[in-house]
Parts: sequence; structure tokens; C-alpha cells
Amino acid sequence: MKYIAIGLTALALLAPPAWADDYSLLEWDDLIPLEEQLNPPPFPEVDHEDEFAIPGQPIGKVVPGLNGRKVRLPGFVVPLEGDSKQVTAFLLVPYFGACIHVPPPPTNQIVYVEYPAGALVDDLWDAVWVTGTLHTVGASNEMGDAAYSLQGTSVEPYQI
Amino acid sequence: MLILALKSLWARRLTAGLTLASIAISVMLLVGVEKVRVEMKESFARTLSGTDLIVGARTGQINLLLYSVFRLGNPTNNISWNSYQRISQHKGVAWTIPIALGDSHQGFRVLGTNQDYFRHYAYGRNQPLQLAEGRPFNDTFEAVIGAEVAQKLGYRLGDPLIIAHGAGNTSFSLHDDLPFTLVGILAPTGTPVDKTVHVRLDGLEAIHLGWQSGRKTLTLSPEQARAADLTPASITAFMVGMNNKVQVFGLQRAINGYRAEPLSAILPGSALHELWSLLGIAEKAIAFIALFVVVAGLLGMLTTLLAGLSARRRELAILRALGAGPRHLFGLLALEAALLTTLGVLLGLALLYGSLQLLAPLVQAQYGLLLYPGLPEAGEWRLVGLTLLAGMIIGLLPAARAYYYSVNDGMSINQ
Repeated sequence: MKYIAIGLTALALLAPPAWADDYSLLEWDDLIPLEEQLNPPPFPEVDHEDEFAIPGQPIGKVVPGLNGRKVRLPGFVVPLEGDSKQVTAFLLVPYFGACIHVPPPPTNQIVYVEYPAGALVDDLWDAVWVTGTLHTVGASNEMGDAAYSLQGTSVEPYQI
Repeated sequence: MLILALKSLWARRLTAGLTLASIAISVMLLVGVEKVRVEMKESFARTLSGTDLIVGARTGQINLLLYSVFRLGNPTNNISWNSYQRISQHKGVAWTIPIALGDSHQGFRVLGTNQDYFRHYAYGRNQPLQLAEGRPFNDTFEAVIGAEVAQKLGYRLGDPLIIAHGAGNTSFSLHDDLPFTLVGILAPTGTPVDKTVHVRLDGLEAIHLGWQSGRKTLTLSPEQARAADLTPASITAFMVGMNNKVQVFGLQRAINGYRAEPLSAILPGSALHELWSLLGIAEKAIAFIALFVVVAGLLGMLTTLLAGLSARRRELAILRALGAGPRHLFGLLALEAALLTTLGVLLGLALLYGSLQLLAPLVQAQYGLLLYPGLPEAGEWRLVGLTLLAGMIIGLLPAARAYYYSVNDGMSINQ
């Protein structure tokens, strides 16, 4: 997977399309620290006494090296803020729709995107490319609130 | 040429007028449908901002969104105070706003909540609520009303409010033993907040003391009510703001799987998107109908022009004899069609905006839909432009026929 990513990045560098100026292509796996990829965190223990029994969401760590990087990442949009025509803040996730059989993606597989310019709603039904600067926020990992946020510079329909 | 075209239309003012009316009505329908569609989406989308989850009784996500935020439809069930307390103390939760619905005041919904409503509720682009007059409620029997309530009922600070049981326009069981005092009026927001009377949760609880059998069985004085335990047993729904938005799916799943009570948690943004995709089909159907009405209107114009053409052979021939070239006749006919379309479109827009001006307050009162009779938007201009273009292109057909009529053709007696 890693090699594919490197390969793609190399390809992108060899034949740079218009967008590839200084934005590096990112894969969702790149957002997971290497040790976590090799050694996935244990599934949260189910407490049968607790009414909140279903463990909500696996907590993943972030890769500190990605802070401040200019990236380009494909994904699906879960709209949070906006008006009838455009979406100005959304969550970017690696797959479409909430599958209720398994827990939602771990916290390091969801990127909070702020895009003040507003993405046209009509473009959001399919996958999109999001370009912008990635930040890691909230470093206190015990609380499990470390996450990625992205200051978007462009959002466009996904084309391979 | 323009004057000639105008005079020519005036000479046939009955048919021209009817054609004009049919174009005007079809344009009014087309643009009106577009206007309602856009404004409806706009007013829905600007109602809630900054809220990450809405939690209510187990139900569909659109239903929960409609009754908790837009006060459309009725709640399926209440949720227990314990569940609310439990979830609001979850470590991922930054703030919550409880909502209790079910009563009304003069047809306006009464919403039981707490101070957090004024702190965290946001609409539009993260705009917080603002008080035009007065202050938020501090006491059990104080109320804060939306701008429209204040305007419609002409209330001032300090006025007493009696809350009616049930959510109808009127009710025959009143909570008249325990009136509320108006302490604040919110600034207009253009959202359902304007039409809401806000009171404290314990206030709602107090007026329902003695209602355990579904009707009023005992009358209380405010002092007696205050002395009772006013912790609500249940609320209708609550809004949640997260510390970290990426954990929203986790909390949503935990709430949906909550064992003590069947609950639903929804993301308002995606619930609204789902609503659009459902409405999209109906929207397209209506837009298509409106489009075909315009096509029918333009075809009507074509029929009138073509039919008029054979009756005007002599007139055209005389024009030719007076020195007008075939090109002039082409121009004249094309100009007549263009004039008809343009005037029709203008008349249609005037009719639409005139009626909007008249109907907007009514529509807002009846359906809560805010129609700004402002300038047409980009989408409307596009429709208007397309109609004009289509009308002008259609007008080329009779113009082309006129071009080919020769002098001789019109002058000969028995044609």
C-alpha cells in the first residue's frame, strides 16, 4: 500500500498535472501512524454492565509529521455546515454512508475540513478530491481527541 | 421598425394580448416554482448551525429533524431525563440544548429549554441568537419570545402569557393558573425561532403538575408549584455540540445503541441532505411541468403568428410595394415575436413579484416559508433568459415565411 502511494506520488511528480504544484497526494493509510498500521489497537472492551455498551468509535493516533503539510486527499463528504447551495464545513471519510454493522471509521480516518469558499452541494454526491493544508489538532492522546483538520483550498469531483 | 412592429401588434391587440397573457402566466409559473424551490431550501438550510447531533426518541432521521428543529409534524415520543443527563456528561460532548415541545401559546409553539439555548443555539452561518429587548429567562415563570410572536401579538416586556395545553391553533385547556411573565424578545432570525415561545424546563414541568391524568385535576398557585420537585421527567429532544467533530460518528453509534432507552441521534447536515434527495424527485417533476407550460405558451405564440401571417399577406405585400425588402419583412415579424416574448416575460415577472409581495406574509404565517420578494436570483435569470431565447428563435419561423412571400403573391386577388 505504501509503495503504491509512493509510486503514485512519484508518478504525480513525473507528470505533474495542474494541481500537483506543491500538494502531495495522500492515501487514507498515510494518516495512520506506522506502528498502528502494523499493530492495530485492540478493539474497545465491551462493558456489559454499562448502558452505553456499544463502543463508539476506535480512537486512532495521528501522524505528527503531517502537521502543516499541503495535501490532496480523495474521500466522501458528510456535510456539517453550509446553506442550500454550498457546504462550508464537512467531514471527509474514506467510504460512503454509515455502515451500521461495524463501528465508524477510527478518529484518524476522518478529516474535519473547513472550506470557507464553499463546495457546491451538487458536487457532493460522489467522491471528491480535497486539496489543502492538513493540521493535527488536540495532541492529548489519552483523551482520544487528537484528530486531523484540513483548511481546504479546493474541492472538486473525483476523477481518476 | 420597432414602432411599426409595436403598431402592428397594437392593431391585433386582442390576439396579441391573449398570447401575451399565456406567455406571462407560463413564465410566472416557471419562475415561481424555481423561487419557491430555492427559498425553501434556503430557509431550511439556514435554520440550524453549529449543532453536531440531534438526539430524540427512536424515529427516522428526517422526522426527528423536522419536529425538533422546524417544529413540523409531531414528536413520536419523549426521551427520559436520565438518558439526557447521561449523554450530556459523555466526555466527547461540549454542550447540549434540551428541547421540550407539546404546548402552545396562541398557535405559537412553546419550547421548554434552559440558558444553554441562548448560549449555544446558532443559525445561518454560525450566528448566535440575540435579544432585541430584555434578557434571557432566569425564573421558573419567565418567558422569552421570538420576533414574530412579539410582532403578531403585540407583546411588551412584562406582559403575562398563558400557555395552552396541546399544539393546535387554539386549545380549550389552558394552564391559566400559572401565567408566565415576558422578560425578553429575540431579534428576528428568519427561522422557526421567531415563532417560538421559550420557557424554562421547570416552568413547563410546573404547569403540568396535576395533569397526570391527562386533564387538569388540581389548580396550583405559583408558590405551591415552586415548592414541588420541578426536575422534568422527560424532554422531547436535545442538541449536542461536540468537543471534537471527528468523534461525532462514535457518539452517534453509541447513542443509537444505547441500551437503557431506544434513542436516535442524527447529524443535522446529512439529514437535511437526505431530505433534499427525497424532495429532489418531486422538485424535478414540478419543474418539468412548469417547463412544458412555457413550451405550450410559446407554441401558442407560434400558432398565432403563423395563422396571422396568412391573414396578413395583403398587408405584407403592400409593405413590399411601398419599398420594404424581404429582409425588412423578416425583421418585422421576428421583432414582433421578440416583443411578444419580452413583454410576456416582463408581465409574468411583474405578476409573480406583485403576488409575492401580497402573498409572502400569508405564506410565512401558514407554512413558515420565508419568500423574499427581492430581485430574481441567478437561477431565475437563467430561466427568463432561456424563455426569451426560445421565443426569439420560434419567431424566426413566421419571419422566414414572410421573407419568402413575394409581392405578387399578396397582390393577386384570388389567392
